[in-house]
Amino acid sequence: MKKDLYQNICEETIFASIYNKYAQTLHDFLYYRYGDRLNPGDKAQDAFTKLWENCKKVTPDKAKSFLYTTANNLMLNEVKHQKVVLKYQTESPKGYTNENPEFLLEKDQYYKKYQAALSKLTEEQRTAFMMNKVEGKKHAEIAELLGVTRKVVEYRIYSAFDQLKKELENFKVK
Amino acid sequence: MLYMQRAELMDKDKLTQKWLLDDLNVEEAKAFEALEEASFYKDIVEGASQFKASNYSKMDDFETFKKRMEASETPVQKLHWTTPLLRIASVIFIAFGAYYFFLSDNLLTVQTKVAEKTTIELPDTSKVILNAGSEVAYDEKEWASNRKIELKGEAFFDVAKGAKFEVFTEKGTVTVLGTEFNVKQRGSYFEVACFEGIVRVTSGNETKILKVGDNFRLFNGEVISGKHTFESPKWTNNVSHFNRIAVSEVFAEFERQYGIALTLENVDTEQLFTGSFMHDNLENALLAISEPLGLDYEIINTDTVRLSMSGK
Repeated sequence: MKKDLYQNICEETIFASIYNKYAQTLHDFLYYRYGDRLNPGDKAQDAFTKLWENCKKVTPDKAKSFLYTTANNLMLNEVKHQKVVLKYQTESPKGYTNENPEFLLEKDQYYKKYQAALSKLTEEQRTAFMMNKVEGKKHAEIAELLGVTRKVVEYRIYSAFDQLKKELENFKVK
Repeated sequence: MLYMQRAELMDKDKLTQKWLLDDLNVEEAKAFEALEEASFYKDIVEGASQFKASNYSKMDDFETFKKRMEASETPVQKLHWTTPLLRIASVIFIAFGAYYFFLSDNLLTVQTKVAEKTTIELPDTSKVILNAGSEVAYDEKEWASNRKIELKGEAFFDVAKGAKFEVFTEKGTVTVLGTEFNVKQRGSYFEVACFEGIVRVTSGNETKILKVGDNFRLFNGEVISGKHTFESPKWTNNVSHFNRIAVSEVFAEFERQYGIALTLENVDTEQLFTGSFMHDNLENALLAISEPLGLDYEIINTDTVRLSMSGK
């Protein structure tokens, strides 16, 4: 581990490993937090480009926070207060072929409502909830990414769920 | 037997919370499954997967990223060109809805970032002072015959006398013949203030003529005409002033001027705010907006400040 400090991330193999390690998670984080309209993929790319340009100045252990800070700043420079929208898949991953139209319609309504409910969550609630439940990230790791304590992350996951529960109330099966 | 009973007696909310945080022992897990709402709750968590980020898009693998970096010989230069081009594309796209024009490829674009202001001189000596987080685009070559400029954000215009001068924003158009006026368009908020001469504002079906001291405001579809009492917009003197404006816009402008993120806790973003904050002293500025609204502020780090309802 000590070797880390003296490694130059300008070296391609090292930069490549950093890229492979953080790229998709950074993208996912930005997507959950800011939605699809502000080009999370582009911002993630730009953050890596900036890291590349500054490779002499950033040590491997600082690369992650550099990437997240840069990406968040790029986001904040965009038009603010746009409603955050996450897209959902319309086909069922389990590949049911014998669903009746009524069931499909209800499923679609459920996901539309779900989408709206996700938009209503705060950035922090949505990010914590999605990173934990969809990406399987542990509370401690999410806490590090959001710059808060683990307890706060747990609180946000619970608040997010509470909101979603209320919004989706009508879809509860009697 | 004893453990089973204890788990069943646990408060339903507490049990749900433990389930949500993956903190159940065997008995608690059984108790959770026995809850009436268990399948509803499980569906919610499963449903989240339909919104998985990697279904929306995936990052390129490293080789592709590398090729892209190598393709740009002088990365620094290339990067600066890409971003403005992307922005021009979005300004025109937004404008498309209402204003189908401006198809010249030779648009000169000037942007300001967060916490940045700049003054531009147009080819006819007209001046534009651009506020933070804003952008203008115009055709330099055609300027003499066609004074059309697109604005996203906020700018103050000091227009030299001459042919018709038009400012196009997503929410409305301003036409003048040689005068001083301020145009602000942020999200669904559109405001024009006239400081000298006469200005004509068109937005949707509304057209209004503004003289010195007049003010036109459109927010969420509602038009308010009024007066202002300043000789020039306050922000050009590094103060942002608001007169009965929703605090969400106040906070947005604050973030733009200081380049920080404001995290809100229990704050009613629909209240109206009248007052101002300066651009060059963060603490004073925070006091200026938090005191009147009964809020506490906490500086979390160099990029983040938390505002919350005080007296909890």
